[in-house]
Amino acid sequence: MDQQERTEDRSALIIGILPVLMSSVLFLWFLGFVPQIAEGLVIRSEFGWVPSLGISFSFVLDGLSLTFALLISGIGSLVFLYSNTYLSRHAHFSRFVMFLFAFMLSMLGLVLADNLILLFIFWELTTITSYLLIGFGHETANGRRSALQALFVTGAGALAMLAGFILLGLTIGSFELSEILDQSDKIQSSGAYELILLLILAGTFTKSAQFPFHFWLPNAMAAPTPVSSFLHSATMVKAGVYLMARLHPGFAGTELWLWTLTIFGAVTAVLASILAIRQTDLKLALAYTTLMALGTLTLFLGQESGYAMTAFATFLIVHSLYKASLFLVVGCIDHTTGTRDADVLGGLGRYMPITTVAAALAAMSMAGFPPFLGFIGKELKYAGALGVASEPVLVAGAVLAANALMFTVAGIVAFRPFWQNRKASLPRSPREAPWQMVIGPLILAVLGTAFGLYPDVLERSLVAPTVASLLGSIEDTKKLTLWAGVNLPLILSLLTVITGLLLYWQHQFLRAQLSDILAQLPSFDRGWDHFLGALKLVAFWQTRLIQPGLLHHYLFATFATVWAGLTLAILYGGIDFRFPNMAKISLQGAAVILLVVGGAAVTTVTTSRITAMAALGVVGIGVAMIFIVFSAPDVAITQLLVETLVVVLVAVALLRLPRLDVERSRSRIYDAALAVGVGTLVSFIVLAVVSQPFDRRVTDYFETVSWPEAFGRNIVNVILVDFRALDTFGEVVVVAVAALSAYALLRVTAQSKQKR
Amino acid sequence: MSWYIATPLILPFLTAVITFLLRRNPLGRRISCAGNLLLLIAAFILLFQVIEQGIIAGQMGGWAAPFGITLVADYLSAAMVCITAITAFAVSIYALADIGTRLEQLGYHALFNVLIGGVIGAFLTGDLFNLYVWFEVMLIASFGLLVLGGSRAQIDGGVKYVTLNLVSTILFLSGIGLLYGITGTLNLADLAIVVQDLENTGLVTVIAIIFMIAFGVKAAVFPLFFWLPASYHTPAFAVSAVFAGLLTKVGVYAMIRMFTLVFVNDVGFTHTILLWVAGFTMVTGVLGAAAQHDIRKILSFHIVSQIGYMIMGLAIMTPLAIAGAVFYLVHHILVKANLFLVAGVVNHVTGSTQLSKIGGLYKSAPLLALFFFIPAFSLAGFPPLSGFWAKYILIKAAIDVSGWVIAAVALLVGLLTIYSMTKIWAEVFWKRHPDDRQPTLDRIERGALTAYLFPIACLATMTVILGVAPDAFVVFAETAAKQLLDPSAYIATVLG
Amino acid sequence: MEALLALAIGFLVGTSVYLMLSRNVLRFIFGLVLISNAANLIIFVGGRLIVGAPPLIVEGALAPAGIVANALPQALVLTAIVIGFGLFAFALVLMFRTYSTLGTLFSDQMRVAEPRENFET
Repeated sequence: MDQQERTEDRSALIIGILPVLMSSVLFLWFLGFVPQIAEGLVIRSEFGWVPSLGISFSFVLDGLSLTFALLISGIGSLVFLYSNTYLSRHAHFSRFVMFLFAFMLSMLGLVLADNLILLFIFWELTTITSYLLIGFGHETANGRRSALQALFVTGAGALAMLAGFILLGLTIGSFELSEILDQSDKIQSSGAYELILLLILAGTFTKSAQFPFHFWLPNAMAAPTPVSSFLHSATMVKAGVYLMARLHPGFAGTELWLWTLTIFGAVTAVLASILAIRQTDLKLALAYTTLMALGTLTLFLGQESGYAMTAFATFLIVHSLYKASLFLVVGCIDHTTGTRDADVLGGLGRYMPITTVAAALAAMSMAGFPPFLGFIGKELKYAGALGVASEPVLVAGAVLAANALMFTVAGIVAFRPFWQNRKASLPRSPREAPWQMVIGPLILAVLGTAFGLYPDVLERSLVAPTVASLLGSIEDTKKLTLWAGVNLPLILSLLTVITGLLLYWQHQFLRAQLSDILAQLPSFDRGWDHFLGALKLVAFWQTRLIQPGLLHHYLFATFATVWAGLTLAILYGGIDFRFPNMAKISLQGAAVILLVVGGAAVTTVTTSRITAMAALGVVGIGVAMIFIVFSAPDVAITQLLVETLVVVLVAVALLRLPRLDVERSRSRIYDAALAVGVGTLVSFIVLAVVSQPFDRRVTDYFETVSWPEAFGRNIVNVILVDFRALDTFGEVVVVAVAALSAYALLRVTAQSKQKR
Repeated sequence: MSWYIATPLILPFLTAVITFLLRRNPLGRRISCAGNLLLLIAAFILLFQVIEQGIIAGQMGGWAAPFGITLVADYLSAAMVCITAITAFAVSIYALADIGTRLEQLGYHALFNVLIGGVIGAFLTGDLFNLYVWFEVMLIASFGLLVLGGSRAQIDGGVKYVTLNLVSTILFLSGIGLLYGITGTLNLADLAIVVQDLENTGLVTVIAIIFMIAFGVKAAVFPLFFWLPASYHTPAFAVSAVFAGLLTKVGVYAMIRMFTLVFVNDVGFTHTILLWVAGFTMVTGVLGAAAQHDIRKILSFHIVSQIGYMIMGLAIMTPLAIAGAVFYLVHHILVKANLFLVAGVVNHVTGSTQLSKIGGLYKSAPLLALFFFIPAFSLAGFPPLSGFWAKYILIKAAIDVSGWVIAAVALLVGLLTIYSMTKIWAEVFWKRHPDDRQPTLDRIERGALTAYLFPIACLATMTVILGVAPDAFVVFAETAAKQLLDPSAYIATVLG
Repeated sequence: MEALLALAIGFLVGTSVYLMLSRNVLRFIFGLVLISNAANLIIFVGGRLIVGAPPLIVEGALAPAGIVANALPQALVLTAIVIGFGLFAFALVLMFRTYSTLGTLFSDQMRVAEPRENFET
């Protein structure tokens, strides 16, 4: 028992440590590229994969992808270290690690891909891994619902995006991004530009949770905290933003690009920050501020100015650093105290000093205090907003609102739980979280501080190259500095602080007001339930209509299709129809045919079993006589033999089955109408066929060759056993199998009868 | 007379005879496996021969075409024979555990091998009436397999299955009579030439529609698919799997063959109809699946929906589209058969396939969860699995010809397929078992478990390989498409 | 003569369809028999009809003298008759078995595989 525990512990250790090591190695490897990229180099590599479809394993490493790659691998290794302790006792820990690592690799693939379809593949891989990770709490209905919602919404967007990618590739003639982005004129002047853009934006807006596709992100907080921190704040949700940034050189500059991104980004940012105030669950509050950040990033991507792009690049890093840190901090709080409720928590500063420091640093970056990186980011954002060509006031106003609320939420999440006095008791007594859980947030928060104090490092190594990826050169990069003189951005920052403080002071009152208002407004999340319900209703309706379980319905539909299809074909194509020559009718032939017709008619209307059998027999014999009259003796013999067997079998069966019912149902009129329709069409078509000239080529061959080469005088027999022997083989198999199957069916009847 | 072509056709019937004689002997089921393994080898030899030599034709009895019956293997046929053999082998191993002695004594293995023989005959024949004969061989064997065991559900499903398929059969036969009446020949290659020269093209189109409907019933397209969801969920799981994998694909194959080789005189009309049919099939199938609560019923409706994709490829009629249809055919057989096999294991482990009655398998049977996840998400079209490429090629083909509506429909149906597959995933694997049980794979005895899981694992691996390294097969599919769209090589090989 | 036969075939098909659409599966079987005959006749008539000259080669001759009936459709019909019989026999046994297992011959009452759904939303 002890031994087993030790082995289990050891394997858990390996599973826990391995990804930390691997992601750290990746991080360091990427770090090694910083000098080259800072020089302005862009590294590309390509391996063939599916050349027949124009899809290759091509990768690009420039400022934008390096920034993302470093964020992904760096934050990734810290999250793995964190998960080690957060989840190590969980039964599915190894699965978790596997999914998370798979996610990280997919995300890296996404940001490094230089081929559109390759990018799409990694995009979908992040969707699946995210689904599995959100579904980690799958035993609750809510967990399953959230996972499905995320999958469905992002999946729908992704499929639209795929169509956009294919169109884009078609327009340019290649899927390689390096080729596509060079040809921005061709893209923007092509007739498909709007369609392509809208389709791709469907994908990016769903992935990055822009309004109105934002509702899945808060629900994704059902996932464990490391997942929320890694995927749903720092990396995966930024995939949409990444793609828009990547496509910026090719697509930006048009009115459509500008206004779509600006409007959706601004609305998302403001809406999310309002909703953030309402949350008492710390994780949800952070989720909404992530939404707000994504909205802001989108907003700036709509622009083309140096300030806007620098703001984008800087805020990207700023946000990832403080958001990941704060999420992990919330995880620490949850892990040690057992709750995430902002109304309950307080006074933790005494028990969790290191966590408090991390939280404080991260929060100040978030709130935008100097000398943190967040302050620099904020200044740049204002500069970028004010530089917007049209409606700078509106945009700056939106950014101001968002920032102020960000300030407020920073206070709610990172100040209150630690510094303010506790109001209620906690489920567990708080103490400092284990070092593996604290070191992550601490490092990230410290980085936010360090880069604030020494922004040149960041500017040169990552921000400038990123701006270069977006605008083509590093020249338009604006300086990252703590002090840029007294200008409008500085004033706006002061305004932000004041507004933020005011809102924080009143936040509980505001929260109550908001809850009342929001309860009356339609909710997108409830809309999702309505949507699923509607889907099910449509499905049920269709099944009731099409597949009701009634054989009559199925047969009627089949014959109706026959009738409709043939009528359509006849009307469309027109048959060259010649009215048949009735002169050649012989009396014999007519009599025999009349026999057949009569027999069929009797079978149809009779209700007596014996009459039915007899009528069937008459039909069979009539057909045999047709064969005789028209020179087919062998066929006639076979027909007679088979007909006899048919009648015998029918007789044996009928006498053990109940009487035939009298058919009084009105609906039989429809059946009759359809039958008449089909019968008429068949006659018509057969008449048309026989009025065509006939090609006797194949028949002549048989007649010529039957005796000399096949040694048979009865040509029909020769065909059956020599020329077309394979058919006869099949025929024999059919009869044998029919006998076997029928016997198997009957035997079980006999057995069950015996049991009784 | 080419032995490369004849062997895959002869082997299943030989195996059928031997297993019938041995039906009360446990050796019988092993012979079935062995026979199908030999078939697999023969099929691959045929495939390599075709790749090396080009189209292969064999005249039965030595009688020259178009007078005797010709067996033809082009890229499409050879690929279909291979995939049939793979499926047959997989299911025969699965049947070691799934089919009990009661069904074996009634002749299960004989019926199974006759079915496989009929399917292969249909894929290899170059003669229209011979195609009818193989369809009937396949049909009667499927009748037998469907009702083998005689449960109430099977009988009920059997009635629907038998009646609707008999109608299709009669329609097919009538169509042959009519086509023969205006052309005087039955050899497919010969028909291709003769039909081209006919004046009365309107009549040809009418006959084409007859064939479209007859094969449409077999392929389970809209509005002819009723028999499938009415019956596929009733027989033994091994039977469901082979039905789901192969039977409808024979119908699709026949459609592809006839509408690229023979009925190409009025592509504007016939293929437009096919496009509409494809769209409706995709949508009605996936919506039908969304209303179901039993794993096999959901999967049955999905077969219908996926058939729509293949018909879409045929309807668009460009090289890329046909290549997509070929790719989809192979991918779908692998994935669908696998899903039914997994459903069988779920049933053996939990005792039911009703979503409301089971659950918790993610926790208690993770291996099974993995084996469901791979084919399910392949079906839904997620990379890097085979289904992604299949869907991608078809959608690209649609967009290439500006088929916006059908592309949008295909994408939308893909989304709804995701919904369906995740419904099964969430209900069967993620959700806790309603009785709080923990059904594990240990319930199944060791030998039987291997028999269950080995074929499932192999098929899943193939799906992954096809997804991760698709290029070879894409090139293969494109060559097959080229051969189909330009039948001169086919005609030349057959008619000499 | 083909014309009259064509009309007869149409009549046979019409009555078969009417019978097949009956809710009583036994009538379906009757319809099956009739429509099989109709299909066989279609093949037969497609080869064009000739009275009184069966496709036989007289002793001593190398090929038939004069015009004889078309042998190929006859062979096809023969095969079709036998195959049709096999299918019919199975279908009949199935219907018989249906009555003993499900207790009814009316397809409207056969709701085991697809029961009346009460779809819960």
